[in-house]
Amino acid sequence: MRLQLEPGKAPKVSLRDALHGAALALLMIPATAQAQSTPSDRIDVTSLLYGEQGRTEVVEPVVRFTHLLPDGQSVSAQLAFDVITGASPSGALPSGTVQTRTSASGHVITSKAGQIPVAPFHDERVELEGTWHKPLNRLVSSDLGFHVSREKDYQSLGINGKVSTELMRRLLTVTIGGGVSHDTVFPTGGTPAGLSDGTIVKLGSNAKNVTNVLLGASRIVSRQWLVAVNSTETLERGYLTEPYKVISIMSHVNGTPIGELTDKRPSTRNRSALLLSSVYHLTDDVLYTSYRYYWDTWSIRSHTIDLKYRHDLGDDSYIEPLFRYYQQSAASFYTVGFVEGATLPDFATSDYRLGRLRTITAGATYSFRPDFVTGEITLRGQYMRQFGNGSPSNAIGIQRNFDLSPPVNIVAVVLGYSFDY
Amino acid sequence: MIKMTRYLWRFIATVALLLVAGCATVQPWDRDLLAEKKMSLNPSPMLQAVDEHIYFSKEASMGGMDAGGGGCGCN
Repeated sequence: MRLQLEPGKAPKVSLRDALHGAALALLMIPATAQAQSTPSDRIDVTSLLYGEQGRTEVVEPVVRFTHLLPDGQSVSAQLAFDVITGASPSGALPSGTVQTRTSASGHVITSKAGQIPVAPFHDERVELEGTWHKPLNRLVSSDLGFHVSREKDYQSLGINGKVSTELMRRLLTVTIGGGVSHDTVFPTGGTPAGLSDGTIVKLGSNAKNVTNVLLGASRIVSRQWLVAVNSTETLERGYLTEPYKVISIMSHVNGTPIGELTDKRPSTRNRSALLLSSVYHLTDDVLYTSYRYYWDTWSIRSHTIDLKYRHDLGDDSYIEPLFRYYQQSAASFYTVGFVEGATLPDFATSDYRLGRLRTITAGATYSFRPDFVTGEITLRGQYMRQFGNGSPSNAIGIQRNFDLSPPVNIVAVVLGYSFDY
Repeated sequence: MIKMTRYLWRFIATVALLLVAGCATVQPWDRDLLAEKKMSLNPSPMLQAVDEHIYFSKEASMGGMDAGGGGCGCN
């Protein structure tokens, strides 16, 4: 680590060096790693530390190995491991008294009076991904990939591929791709009937099939400006219900929760997204902007604006502040709860992630190449805040006194280390 | 089938829009800035993948970026 020494003054540590030191200490990188003369392969390691205030915590280390082959080909393999602990909102409404909830795995959690009830959980997820990139000629390239992931109650197997071709003297790149995934959901304790008191109707697994199509085009507009349009269509078929979420039944007298029914969602969902992106090179810095419009057959519409501004601090380091704004409308079958005696609809959920929602994210990425170890170190910190609809119009009685969707505060830190060898 | 046709038309319209955007030709010797790694649409794929995973688990939307990707029971 460089220290700036001046005669007659105490040694000062610059902000840059302090950040280097912090990142190195967190990553525990051995200082003995040495650069080699002909880089041909690459290893990327990242570790996500994610925490929601009073709710979920996630630790996710990921390692990716990329091997370069002749003729521009490459193969890569990625292994990820998630550990997820904590609690998430069950979908139930708060009451005026203390509520105790036991998860399917036997964990018990208590919610204070007026507090949104949460259900405890613990899960671990392992995922393996592979990609093969192959140029087919000077202007056309292809990618083929697969993924396998497994967690306690969910498994996913999938393949994907895409072909890109450069047109108009390489000013325009068109990409066509797609993927299929066969997922399996096997809820702990069995699958409950939808909109029931939790009666188990199936002990085995439930299938969920996902088909995805991508059409994209990017265009060089000027010496310093690149724009792109991506359009994706995702078709989901099968078991799309969240088996652990519930919907409260409110007393028609005072709104107190007097019972619960299970979540039930349609077995089909078509999702569409249109993404417009721009990368603009200023004199030294780069501005990344994107806007995504999303819509699906569950009547959810969303707008996402993403901004990143990369400022180079020198040849070997940069800082990149980021800002993201997200806004969605509610699913057509979202409800805060049922009033006792009301006729039940075909589908319903109280999962706040399918309700009206806004997310604001702010953060920054800092990346540098240290002097005494080969490779690049990246540190990203983000703060997210989610706002739901805390006072829905169909809340009655005491529910009008509570914030039914309190803001969720989230902090995510990603540490990354990449090197060629 | 109707859905797919509508989807194709939407894409063709957006590509046509891209084709007319910026009529000037950028010669190969003027692509020094565009050749920099940071001028990629996704210069940090692993960070992007982490972000997508977080947003997918906390929001109802997905898509726009790429085809395929790992499945997850988080949403």
